[in-house]
Amino acid sequence: MASANKPINTDVPEKDVFALHFLQSLSNLRRQNTFNSPEKTNDRVKKIKKVAYVSMARAAGGTNRLWSRALLRRAAKENNKVVRFPRRKKRVTCLRRRRSNRRDPVEEEEAERLRNLVPGGGGMEISKLMEETAHYIKCLSMQVKVMQCLVDGLAPK
Amino acid sequence: MSSRKSSRSRQSGSSRISDDQISDLVTKLQHLIPELRRRRSDKMSASKVLQETCNYIRNLHREVDDLSDRLSGFLASTDDNSAEAAIIRSLLDY
Repeated sequence: MASANKPINTDVPEKDVFALHFLQSLSNLRRQNTFNSPEKTNDRVKKIKKVAYVSMARAAGGTNRLWSRALLRRAAKENNKVVRFPRRKKRVTCLRRRRSNRRDPVEEEEAERLRNLVPGGGGMEISKLMEETAHYIKCLSMQVKVMQCLVDGLAPK
Repeated sequence: MSSRKSSRSRQSGSSRISDDQISDLVTKLQHLIPELRRRRSDKMSASKVLQETCNYIRNLHREVDDLSDRLSGFLASTDDNSAEAAIIRSLLDY
């Protein structure tokens, strides 16, 4: 089961894929009655933010990546109930026991912080974590570019 | 979700992932982060790269927050046509 020599691929789709997913979700949102009322700002911001992450995860390949899978799973859970993501508790008990034979204690501390930031990072071994991180970063910056384009386009001239 | 598999068990000499691959990944990450790419230094310590990666991700999250906020302001209007047109126009022109 030596998968150590598999080439690591962190390619992401083109920007239009992200744009398309985001636009579709936004247009769905706008069809909701409560969405357009000027008072409910906080709700609206939260929904847009959530839609940004979900559409990004879908554009990036849905269930093909660990981080996008975790993100989508989390979003689905949130739709049923407002629950605080419990990942943190489990992860802390996991890692503390394993400090003994790690290659470098400093690296592991940083890795732990990274695991906090990348969806699904809690269960990953460090090389997988870095691979997922690279992909996640690329997708995040694509998503940011898409949103920036939108904002620039919608801003009053 | 119990993922405490044996992949996390102690692996001293014969680790599944080679040190080269790790170092490779560190370099890859280094190139992805604009902050570090500018410095052009050949090799940074893994922990520094990881640290900057965390900062970069946090920044990106913050940008998403900020842009969501601004988008929310723009999308609150009931003027459908102009907003849709502007959206499509802006994305097609990039």
